Amino acid sequence: MGIIKWVFWITVWTVVAAFFHYTLPQTDIVRITETYEKRIDFGENSIFWSNADVGNNTTLGNRDVFFIQSRRAKGDVMVYRNEDTGWGWPPYFKFDTTNLQAEAADLKSTSDTPQYVSLKHYGWRNEFLSIFPNAISIRPVAGPDVSKGIPFLNIIILTLFVAFIYAIWVRWRRFKARRIDPTLERIEDDLAEKQGRFSSWMSGLKNKR
Amino acid sequence: MIALLQLVVVCFTILTVIYVGLSIYSRRIRRGKLRQKWRNGPRLVDLDSFVQRGLKKYDNSIRRKLILGVYIVPVGLVVMIIYLTNFN
Repeated sequence: MGIIKWVFWITVWTVVAAFFHYTLPQTDIVRITETYEKRIDFGENSIFWSNADVGNNTTLGNRDVFFIQSRRAKGDVMVYRNEDTGWGWPPYFKFDTTNLQAEAADLKSTSDTPQYVSLKHYGWRNEFLSIFPNAISIRPVAGPDVSKGIPFLNIIILTLFVAFIYAIWVRWRRFKARRIDPTLERIEDDLAEKQGRFSSWMSGLKNKR
Repeated sequence: MIALLQLVVVCFTILTVIYVGLSIYSRRIRRGKLRQKWRNGPRLVDLDSFVQRGLKKYDNSIRRKLILGVYIVPVGLVVMIIYLTNFN
């Protein structure tokens, strides 16, 4: 029973952590190498793609998606998609996809004359699912070693979440100690008493024989 | 537009549940406090009319209207996020 409990809670918290890691914004220092658009036919990975630009038809099975190719300050490459989140989830309320693409194209640079940018995004890059993080905003920075800044928003959201969970947990424990545990104990006592009676009745039978 | 409508309907439903819950909770707390005050006080009127008078005063108070923040704060937050994401 103990191991089932452990597996259950580890699974729950892994899902929660993955959810926040996917949804909360992160910042990369990158050099934009190319911007392009490509038609995407959404399949099994469609949950990891956002919607068509707000106002457009959302019922079609495929559409063109903007992409931003980059080389990160760390040295590896990263490809971002650039899509409206619109009024949907996650609540970034991003409507300026095309403007962002124009900014990204403007900040393109080569390795000879590098122009680094701080690119805020959410989401994951996964080669096995062909999914890409969604770029939110771009800001030119001085160089590859510039600091990413303190993620105040993430700190606030995670703190509020932990406080919320703690509040529920404390109330649950109090409720359990006051209502559930005494009831369970009473049931156990009842059972023990009945078993005692039953065994004495059995031994009584044996003695009669 | 359908996506916006969806967001508005879902948020309005959730916020209304919170608003109603909070209103009832707050009124109950107020009632309890008024009873306590009556017990500690000189008891010039009977308990029921004292509590009724206090609750009437509470219904017109600023405190009661602050609960409307349940609607105002999220809308303000959304407007702020829209500005920061798209126009900043």
